[in-house]
Amino acid sequence: MALSPAFLAELERIVGAPGVVSTLEGRLAYECDMHTYYKGAPDFVVLPESTAQVAELVQLCRRERVAIVPRGSGTGLIGGAMAPVGGVMVSMTRMNRILDLDFPNRCATVQPGLINLWLSQATREHGYYFAPDPSSQMVSSIGGNASTNAGGPHCLKYGITVNHVLGLELVTGAGEILRVGGKAVDAPGYDLTGALVGGEGTLGLLTAITVRLLHVPAGVKTLLASFSAIEDASETVSAIVGAGITPAALEMIDEVFVRAINEGVGAGYPKGAGAVLLIELDGPAAEIEAQAGRIVQICRDHAALEIRVARDEAERALLWKGRKEAAGAVGRMSSTWILQDAVVPRSRLPEIMREVVAIGARHRLVIANVFHAGDGNLHPMILYDDRVPGELERAHEANDELLRACLAMGGSVTGEHGVGLDKAWSMPLQFGDADLAFMARFRRALDPDSIMNPGKLLPSHPACGEGFRPAAPRLPTGTWV
Amino acid sequence: MSAPDLAEMLAAIVGREHVAGAGAERSAAAVDGILPRWRVRPGAVDEVSRILALASSEGLAVAPRGSGSALDLGMPPARVDVALDLSRLAGIMEYVPADMVATVQAGVRLDVLARELGKHGQMLPLDPYGGASRTVGGVLAAGASGPRRFRYGTGRDLLLGARFVQVDGTVTWAGAKVVKSVTGYEIPKLLVGSLGTLGVIVEATLRLHPAQPASGSWLFPFPSRDHAASFVAAVLASDLEPERMAWLNAAALARVGQEPSEAAVAISVASVAEAVASQGGALDALARSSGGRVVALDEEFWPGMNAILDAPIVVKLAAEIRRLSFWAGELQKLCAHHGLTAAVVGEAGNGVLRAGVTGSVLSQDWAREVVSPLRDGLAPEGGSLVVERAPVELKHAADVWGPVPEPALAVMKRLKAEFDPRGILNRGRFVGGL
Repeated sequence: MALSPAFLAELERIVGAPGVVSTLEGRLAYECDMHTYYKGAPDFVVLPESTAQVAELVQLCRRERVAIVPRGSGTGLIGGAMAPVGGVMVSMTRMNRILDLDFPNRCATVQPGLINLWLSQATREHGYYFAPDPSSQMVSSIGGNASTNAGGPHCLKYGITVNHVLGLELVTGAGEILRVGGKAVDAPGYDLTGALVGGEGTLGLLTAITVRLLHVPAGVKTLLASFSAIEDASETVSAIVGAGITPAALEMIDEVFVRAINEGVGAGYPKGAGAVLLIELDGPAAEIEAQAGRIVQICRDHAALEIRVARDEAERALLWKGRKEAAGAVGRMSSTWILQDAVVPRSRLPEIMREVVAIGARHRLVIANVFHAGDGNLHPMILYDDRVPGELERAHEANDELLRACLAMGGSVTGEHGVGLDKAWSMPLQFGDADLAFMARFRRALDPDSIMNPGKLLPSHPACGEGFRPAAPRLPTGTWV
Repeated sequence: MSAPDLAEMLAAIVGREHVAGAGAERSAAAVDGILPRWRVRPGAVDEVSRILALASSEGLAVAPRGSGSALDLGMPPARVDVALDLSRLAGIMEYVPADMVATVQAGVRLDVLARELGKHGQMLPLDPYGGASRTVGGVLAAGASGPRRFRYGTGRDLLLGARFVQVDGTVTWAGAKVVKSVTGYEIPKLLVGSLGTLGVIVEATLRLHPAQPASGSWLFPFPSRDHAASFVAAVLASDLEPERMAWLNAAALARVGQEPSEAAVAISVASVAEAVASQGGALDALARSSGGRVVALDEEFWPGMNAILDAPIVVKLAAEIRRLSFWAGELQKLCAHHGLTAAVVGEAGNGVLRAGVTGSVLSQDWAREVVSPLRDGLAPEGGSLVVERAPVELKHAADVWGPVPEPALAVMKRLKAEFDPRGILNRGRFVGGL
């Protein structure tokens, strides 16, 4: 009965008819995430409202061997929340409530569809916030953040999402409602909470997440330093960290971006700068005062052109505005780009930046860089014009070369976006056959019938190192273009 | 294969001098009184691989160990053939201070590593009870942690990547060597606290932190648990940023040579000197308003806390943070009722308590009147009680781990069945008989 009218009737029975999208135009709205290169519409989209409904959906799909693709807000950048082989997409947007706020225990329990920023908004007046802050935090969901193990500028000091997840409720691919972790730490047994975060929907569907809340820091200090050369900025990063200072955020913005941001957002970054560092400290006032003084000195020692210290919240917001809207600003220069998320050891930053420039020149492409310099997480945006024949192919080649260059320096394929469909092929560049086989077996223990988000995270055939890479977007039957 | 043949095979892998089939060295490797047939000390990852491959093909029960300080953890094994001693795997393989990342072998001792990192003003903020002679691999596998977890987290937050050997000898890598990576599943998290039951960690890539230029430590004694609890709550609700925040009861204070009081909270702050001074002042004011006083401590106080858990029975209790004071009281009361003294020390900001328990108790009473009521009470809040050390008869009377709810246990069993189907690695010592 898979995908038959009877199957549709079952879906409607479980979540109610208004909770099922089956029309072509409706399904097309779900055919991709923010990585629009990968398209694949599901056969059905369902919007459950409870854990029990999710469990029933998984049991149905397992019985019928139908693929399940979880989806939060669809803001992922990895071709994760799309359906390359069709099946049922489970959208969590109706499960978006805060279930529990518990300040004495410094935690909150939320449904997966809750928007990241809403949690901090709900807790800030009580003096708390949720630390992971991907730049999509205004729209991305906490379930999506936990599934992709999302990062953000402030994870330099505070860690990525997994460091803030205390417990999970997850419907496994076997259809079990698994509850692990919670308000009390160190539950005996394997740390399934830790191991399930970052599963990208391949292990099951998150239905509730207990996250740590942090106390809002006593003070925040934001500095902006500009340099004529990106090398100076890179070395400044190393010197700050080498001085034993862990800023809350340490962001690098290159010349291309400075120009785009100034024109697009009007953040007023120093004109003509070869690189800008955005440095944020938070913590006790005496601590950040002393550290800010030290950082100003370090910047001067590295030939900073100009150093600005935000005097109030408005100035701080303006310094951040450019960074946060960087991707949008670049849209003025090119509507199409490939975003890379690889990581290098921090000490290799100057070297990799030279490599980025060389790769761009070799492929006659502009590569714009705005990234989390403090932890070596690059975000080169390779700009291309898809109307120019061959340019997309060159962009892909440049992207592959960049990734390989990062890995050759001992880096990692993805720092915070995840693997998804986009990078599954590249897993064998970082892991050997035995390593991938171990992961595949881990996956099987949670999803015995391989129904959960197939094609994502692991290459389809780890042994031969070949992954699913669609030659062309898959269009649903009946589409006409 | 006969025993002499197996001994020869092991000797061929690690060298005769690194296989102890008799004598004091072997006796010292007993687990809950069960002697291993051999204590084997590999000197390379490849040797670990070959030992495990042999153990797998011959069905030998393997108990991995580092310094041996966590051997009390877990249920008594039915049998140990090979005590796999990783202490010779003691190399610091890669350390680039500018990256604040170090890759070390499992047998590296925390104090040895600390000295090396200290030369560059850095540290690995893992401070498990039992001291700095513990090994990195052992601390990770046992999921051990100490007071610094309040600021820096535990092994799960600090282990970036791990090389481990699967039961069939396959050398496997998981994670990354950079501070930020989400490539692939979080397998390192699965290994932390798994007691070597899924694979043997042989190499760890660790996130380091800068040592702070200044620090201060203070003890805040209170006339009652309630006073101490309100102080802890006030600190947690403030924007102060302690590095450590330990709860101590009267018996614990006695073990560390401090004046008695019903409850006390020890706090350290690490930062620049100005911030240490200002936070110290703020803590002092909070303590006074909660009815406490202040005693200045030096840094030596912290390792000195190991004495609190130098006892024949050690229990670990995890609960909601706000309920910590209540559980400290319950633990103390139930023990006292059976003539036991519980010296309680805990991570007040994390909801974790440990008690070093002295005195003698009947197995039945221990199981039914101490362990059970605590577990029953903790269950509704998702808390747990693990008996980290106890005489064997007490371990048999009450499962040291306590129950793991379904279907979590079923998933754990599937993982064990997947990665160690014959139960070679620490069989029967982990939760649910795994």
